[in-house]
Amino acid sequence: MKSLITNRLIFVFSLLGLGVSAFLLYEYSLSGPVVCPLGGGCDLVRSSPYSHFLGISLPILGIIFYLTMGILSIARSQKMTDKILLILELLISIIGVSFGIYLTYLEAFVIKAYCFWCVLSFIISIVILALVFTSSKVHENRD
Amino acid sequence: MKTETKILGTILIITLVLFLGGIYFLSKTSTTNPTKETKVLQIDYSKGQKIGSDSAKVKLVEFSDFQCPACLAAEPVVRAIRDSNLQVQLIYRHFPLPQHSHGKQAANLAEAAGEQGKFWQMHDALFETQSQWSALPDATAFFNDLVKQLGLDETKVKTSLEKGTFNSKIADDIAEGQTLGVNSTPTFFINGQKLNLQSFDDLNTVINEELKK
Repeated sequence: MKSLITNRLIFVFSLLGLGVSAFLLYEYSLSGPVVCPLGGGCDLVRSSPYSHFLGISLPILGIIFYLTMGILSIARSQKMTDKILLILELLISIIGVSFGIYLTYLEAFVIKAYCFWCVLSFIISIVILALVFTSSKVHENRD
Repeated sequence: MKTETKILGTILIITLVLFLGGIYFLSKTSTTNPTKETKVLQIDYSKGQKIGSDSAKVKLVEFSDFQCPACLAAEPVVRAIRDSNLQVQLIYRHFPLPQHSHGKQAANLAEAAGEQGKFWQMHDALFETQSQWSALPDATAFFNDLVKQLGLDETKVKTSLEKGTFNSKIADDIAEGQTLGVNSTPTFFINGQKLNLQSFDDLNTVINEELKK
């Protein structure tokens, strides 16, 4: 029962992350010259060379990440005890959070500007990792 | 297939369609501001660093910040206008943003150089080296080197900076900028009309239109 709720939570947070990434994608797609807004950081982060990774814009990577997590949690709802699915979830969310740490480091020390939505996405990915981790503990206990 | 799987799957598909559709819809319909606002604002033309004749047909005011990457991005276009023989007077006003730790110091430095007739040389040097000093925890040593390179009277610059001679001038620029609705840099005004540029090249188009009037 507990793992069912955890799985639902993973699904909900994946949707939230998807929303944040979609909003960022919308922000990125807006045209207009790059400006430095008073007190703001998003435009600065957007205009930095770090807004793309291997040529792919970061919000798209975010969408792929949350979509994968969402699909995995749906797959798990079908077969909750599937170990491979759980390992995949764990692996992907670790990659996601590690990437988030790297990006937040860039914001703090290299770009020196924060983007609210990017930080929010980072927090959501941490929550997802924590949930997946809890879910794997439940799994272990049951074994 | 379990009911739970079906429900979650449906929710995911619906959410995805809503989000992607939303992005598409919003980016299609987002209203862009006109390039030039109709309202003519009263700008104090006695202030600021100027290049070009006072009687020039077009007065282009730029509110800028030496530490702003977007201002650096605008520089090539602005420089080309400055170097042209067009009837344009360019007026530089300070608008150092609070998130840029060395913005105010750089503005002071440029004014101190201006006192010795080298504002624009310092302006150019600051933008050209922006990436080198922006990331420094303390840019003072770097700025001192610029002072030396431009052959300025170092003691005089130092005294001005220590006394904070130009603090009020810079504060005045910021205050007027805020009154005029400046909330990002660079912000341009052409003969008192605020510009919302889609690209910096649009600046040339707007100037040419104004010159034809």
